[in-house]
Amino acid sequence: MEITIRVNGQERTASVPPETTLLTMLRANLGLTGAKLGCDVGDCGACSVLVDGEPVNACLMLAAQAAGRDVLTIEGLGDFQELSPLQEMFELFSSFQCGFCAPGMIISAKALLDKTPNPTAAEVREALSGNLCRCTGYTKIIDAVMEMASRGAAESERA
Amino acid sequence: MVIKVEDALRADRLTELKHPDEAAGVPAVARKEGRAPQIVPDANQQTPAVGQRVTRPDSRPHITGQTRYIDDLSFPNMLHMKILRSEHAHARIRAIDVSEAEKMPGVVATLTGREIPVNSFGPSYQDQPVLADEKVRHMGDGVVAVAAETEQLAQDALARIKVEYEPLPLVLDPLEAMNDDAPKIHGDSNIYATKAIRKGDVESALAEADLVMEGRFSTQMVEHVPMEPHATIAMWEPDGRLKILSSLGRITLGRADVARTLDMPVNRIQIVGTIVGGNFGGKNEITTEPVLALLARKTGRPVKGVFTRQDEFVSSTTRHPFIMDYRTGVRKDGRILARKVRIVADGGAYCSWSETTLGKGAILSVGPYRIDHLEVKAYAVYTNKTTCGAMRGFGAPQVCFGYESHMDDIARELGIDPLEIRLRNAFDEGSSSPTGQVLHSVAVKESLETVAHRVGWREQTS
Repeated sequence: MEITIRVNGQERTASVPPETTLLTMLRANLGLTGAKLGCDVGDCGACSVLVDGEPVNACLMLAAQAAGRDVLTIEGLGDFQELSPLQEMFELFSSFQCGFCAPGMIISAKALLDKTPNPTAAEVREALSGNLCRCTGYTKIIDAVMEMASRGAAESERA
Repeated sequence: MVIKVEDALRADRLTELKHPDEAAGVPAVARKEGRAPQIVPDANQQTPAVGQRVTRPDSRPHITGQTRYIDDLSFPNMLHMKILRSEHAHARIRAIDVSEAEKMPGVVATLTGREIPVNSFGPSYQDQPVLADEKVRHMGDGVVAVAAETEQLAQDALARIKVEYEPLPLVLDPLEAMNDDAPKIHGDSNIYATKAIRKGDVESALAEADLVMEGRFSTQMVEHVPMEPHATIAMWEPDGRLKILSSLGRITLGRADVARTLDMPVNRIQIVGTIVGGNFGGKNEITTEPVLALLARKTGRPVKGVFTRQDEFVSSTTRHPFIMDYRTGVRKDGRILARKVRIVADGGAYCSWSETTLGKGAILSVGPYRIDHLEVKAYAVYTNKTTCGAMRGFGAPQVCFGYESHMDDIARELGIDPLEIRLRNAFDEGSSSPTGQVLHSVAVKESLETVAHRVGWREQTS
C-alpha cells in the first residue's frame, strides 16, 4: 500500500506491505536510521519519534496509522554543522556513551520541553522513563534537560 | 565553557604529567639504576585530564542520529537472516526438515549445523556449536538459520521448519550438576574448570579462632541488555575474501574463530568492528558470524543478521550466578585468622569465558583483607541454561557481594562496628594478595575513612 507521511516537514511517500511499522518505513524505506530498533515491543524507547507533537514508540505504530500526519525524527532537529539548543546541551554535558539511546532520549526530552518549558526534576524523570540507557548516563541526561529548561526560563523572563 | 579534546591534550599540558620520581626530584641516574621504575602514578596524584571538561569526539554523530551502527547499514541485494532456536533445554536432534520453509516465496537459503565445516568454537574450550547439530543443550541453542528477502519473511519461515527432538533429562541446579549421577551435558563430568588457592595452614588457624562464622551467599544470572542487539553483515568479495561487519567487541579473537569454523586461512577474512551500541562483555565472542558468512556464500549476496530482543536474552551470554560458601575464623577483636571459600559458578550450557571468570572470582573471593591462612576452591559447572560468559568484572561483583555480606555477619556476631572490622583487617601498602602479588598504591583504609567521614558514619552509629 502507498503511504504518505509528512516527515521533518517534507511529504514522503513509500509503497510498503500493510504490516509495516512506522519505524521500518522510516528506517528501511525513507533512509532515516536515527530512530533505532532496540526491543521491538515498546519497552526501550530507542525508536521514539514525535507524531503530531506527541512522543510515540515508532516500533508499535503502523506506518498506515501515521499517514497524513506530521512526524518528527532526530534528523529533523539540528544537523552536524548546527545543533539545536537542546542537542547542544546534550553535547555540553557529554550525556551519552554508546549513543544508541540518544536519538530517542532527545526526542522525548523535546516532547516534554515543548509542553512544559520549566519542568521539575521529577517531571523530567517521568518524561524520560520510557527511554532506557544501559551505559547509565541518566544523571547527565537529566542534568542536560534541567539546564536547558533553566536557560529557557531565563530567556522567557528577559523577553 | 567547553574545552575541546585537542586543547585538553595539547603538548604543553601533557608535559605537566611528569614521571612521579622526576616530580619528586629523584635524579635521572638514580631513577634508572637505583630503583625499579614506577609505572603507576601514586594514589591521589593529579593528572592533567582530571577535572577538565572535554567534548566527546563521538557526541555530535550520536546526538544528530548520524552514528552508523550495523543495523543502520545496508548493501544492494542484501538478505536478512533469522534463527530458529531450540524447543528443549536438553534434547537429541533426530531430524531437521527445511523443505517447506525453502519453498516459501522470498526465502533464499537455509543453513543447519551439519553444513558448518568445523562446528565448534569458544575462547577456552571449543565446546560450543555455531548451530546445534547432534543435540541442543539449552533453549538458546540455534538449530536452523534462514536467509530471506526481508526480516519478516525470514521470521515467518521459521514456523515452517520441522525439527524432531528426543528430549533428554535436564540439570538446572549447579550443585545437583556436580553429583556423579547427574545428567551429563558434555562428556562424562559437568565440572569443566577448577581453581584452587592455598596459603598457610587453614585448619590449624581455624582451630585457634575464638569464633568460626559460616555463610552461604548466592547471586543471580544477569543479562547485559545492550540497547543495540548483536548485529552482523557478511559478504564475499570478488577475490574470494570474506568481509564481516560486526558489533563484535574482540575482532581479532573473532577472526580466529571465524577462520576455525569456516576452515579457511585467517588472512582471507576481514572483520570490521563498527561503533557498538553497548557491549559490557556480552559482545566479546562470535555468535552468528560463521552462519552469515556461509549463507552469503550460498546465495552470493550480502546477509545481515540482527538479534531479536528474545535472541539477546536466551542466546547471548550472561553473568555467572555464583553459590559461595564462606567459613572464617576470627579473634574476639575482629582480626581474621583464616578463611575458606568454595565457589560454584553456574556456567550454563557452554564454557565461553567461564575459566577467566572463575580465576578472577577465586583470587578476589577472599576480599581486600590480610589473611595468612587461606583455602579457595572454585568450580565451573555446566547446566542446561543460557551460557554464562564475560561481563564487567569477570566474577568480581559476585564474590564482593559474598565476602562483604560475610564481613557484616561477622561484625554483627562480634558486636564490632562494620567499618571498624574492615579497618582492622584491610590491606596495607605492600600487603600480599591471596596469590602472592605484592600490592602498591593501596588506599583501602583511606577510601573507607573518606566515605565514612562524608556520610557521617561515626556520628550516626555512635
